[in-house]
Amino acid sequence: MTRFDHDDSDVVVVVGSGAGGGTLANELCRRGFKTVVLEAGPHLTGADYHNDEWKAFDQMAWTDPRTATGSWGIARDFPTLPAWIVKAVGGTSTHWAGACPRFKAHELTARSTYGDLDGANLLDWPITLSELEPYYDRAEIKMGVSHRHGRPPLPANNNYKVFANGAEKVGYRDYATGPYATNAEPYDGRPATVQDGFNFQGDKHGSKWSTLVAELPKAEATGLLDLRPESHVAQILHDSTGRATGVLYVDREGSLRRQRAAVVCVAGNSIESARLLLLSASARFPDGLANSSGQVGRNYMRHTTATVWGQFDKPVRMYRGETMAGVIADESRLDTDRGFVGGYYMETIALGPAFFAKFVAPGSWGPSLTEIVDGYLNTAGMWIVGEDMPQETNRVTLSGGTVDAHGLPVANVHFDDHANDVAMRSHAQRQGAAVYNAVGATRVVETPPYPSTHNLGTCRMSRRPGDGVVDRFGRAHDVPNLFVSDGSVFTTGAAANPTLTIVALAIRQAEYIATEYRTGSS
Amino acid sequence: MSDGQRRTLVDLLRAAFPHRTFPLGPYERTAGAVADAAAADPRLHALLLQGLSDLDEQRDVAFSQLDGETAGVVLRELTGTPFLTAVLDVAIVALYDDHEVWDVLGYEGASYDKGGYVDRGFDDLDWLPDPRIESQEAPA
Repeated sequence: MTRFDHDDSDVVVVVGSGAGGGTLANELCRRGFKTVVLEAGPHLTGADYHNDEWKAFDQMAWTDPRTATGSWGIARDFPTLPAWIVKAVGGTSTHWAGACPRFKAHELTARSTYGDLDGANLLDWPITLSELEPYYDRAEIKMGVSHRHGRPPLPANNNYKVFANGAEKVGYRDYATGPYATNAEPYDGRPATVQDGFNFQGDKHGSKWSTLVAELPKAEATGLLDLRPESHVAQILHDSTGRATGVLYVDREGSLRRQRAAVVCVAGNSIESARLLLLSASARFPDGLANSSGQVGRNYMRHTTATVWGQFDKPVRMYRGETMAGVIADESRLDTDRGFVGGYYMETIALGPAFFAKFVAPGSWGPSLTEIVDGYLNTAGMWIVGEDMPQETNRVTLSGGTVDAHGLPVANVHFDDHANDVAMRSHAQRQGAAVYNAVGATRVVETPPYPSTHNLGTCRMSRRPGDGVVDRFGRAHDVPNLFVSDGSVFTTGAAANPTLTIVALAIRQAEYIATEYRTGSS
Repeated sequence: MSDGQRRTLVDLLRAAFPHRTFPLGPYERTAGAVADAAAADPRLHALLLQGLSDLDEQRDVAFSQLDGETAGVVLRELTGTPFLTAVLDVAIVALYDDHEVWDVLGYEGASYDKGGYVDRGFDDLDWLPDPRIESQEAPA
């Protein structure tokens, strides 16, 4: 196992090992860069994972304290768990279910397309779809995305059969079992799915793409990856010229270490990435590192989400097979006549009884809950994921009084739905109900959003330094050798699940870093 | 907690999560989970002891003597109290994580050690036609 010296100032430090950080690390290692990945969580592997929802949650989830404020339901129902993301090697790529839609061209020009919406802080991305397309291709090939580049589709599971038949009956045309980054056939050294489910719980089989099973082992094979689990970064350091010089982190023994670096890349997921920049305030950067715009932590997005369940008089057994393996894309179109801007996808989802009972109607008990749970066997489920509006006041800040185990102030996540989000959710719930009613549902249940898995926008890309935190390559406007490499760079959220775009941007960023910084020197 | 309090707790759980198909065992184990949580949390312990005692004062007879409907009404009156909220928070996790409950609901639990469902019915739904799996739209 490769180890670089703490004082080796030639290394690139990557904070976080998820979809962004893990991919970036592999791409940098392949280009000859000495790369140190600091991951706050432990190094779990397939053998460690549990086929059990609560055990897996306790093992994988980021359960360090956070606080939540605002009018969103999460602040009431899950006040200490605003986000449901992973603290382990592989990050939330070990939890994702694999849905891989691309952004559409208009979604990268949201401000120009949707106009000036009251309360929304919309901005066009400083990148166009045609610039991104080659990187989407490379990301899809890397991840083995089904339905793309010759990869076969996943077969229809029980949940999909209900979903797709309903879709057909209501007149939808753009439905399929993918694209998903899960192997229907063996690919890239990883096996085909055995339809074992538990994708959210790590995927013991390794047929789902994650940085744990795909990017990090390849990076390791180059001999240039120094992966340090249980290493929690507390501060990014800089010199008198304003360049990043390394990081301070708490290692697994609880000792504070300094790792010097030529380049620092932050990929801790939007909440932690913003928190780290805010924690890295100094005399030169009193409002937080890379925050001269005041935009660090702002424009936090979490997708407009909901779940719709259909219950039938015959068994579904939605839990058998891939957790998510179906997409209806018809509502992702550009069509502002529906009473909102932006679009949404419907995607199959399955939960076990443990999570189903806990999340189906948060805070509910008595017959209103038990009647729903009694129908578990005959239940089909879909998740709604749509574009939400960036708002300056939706924001990650440092929590005043609450600190983590290291004494570091935790993140507070403030969120209010925009009127557009509310209108979209309501439309999506109606359409979801129509899909299930079309195939004879005896009951339809609408579930409000879960703690956020898609955390976006807190360090957004902008052409002008005053409008955002990073440039079109994810480089901080204020700090030339500091990069942000996760979903926090999203200027707007689009409807698509974010991982494919995070991976595409990480490949593109690695290429840029390689042209800007020569191997072994800086 | 006394045996009597334990019985009251079980009856509270049956009234809060009334499933006709559930046997007594899962409710008893869930009461055990609440008791275990209380043993590790003095605040919960205090809420539990006082709350179970109060529960018996809500009507002329003890809570466990009430019919199911009345027990449900009594609990509704306690909605939002720290006692009931704390008990239900622990109970909803424990009850629906009980493997006997999973059996009753038709859930099969862990699958990987059985080879997944690829040969065990992941696509055995037969009351709808087999749908197409590829979009009729061109990919993005």
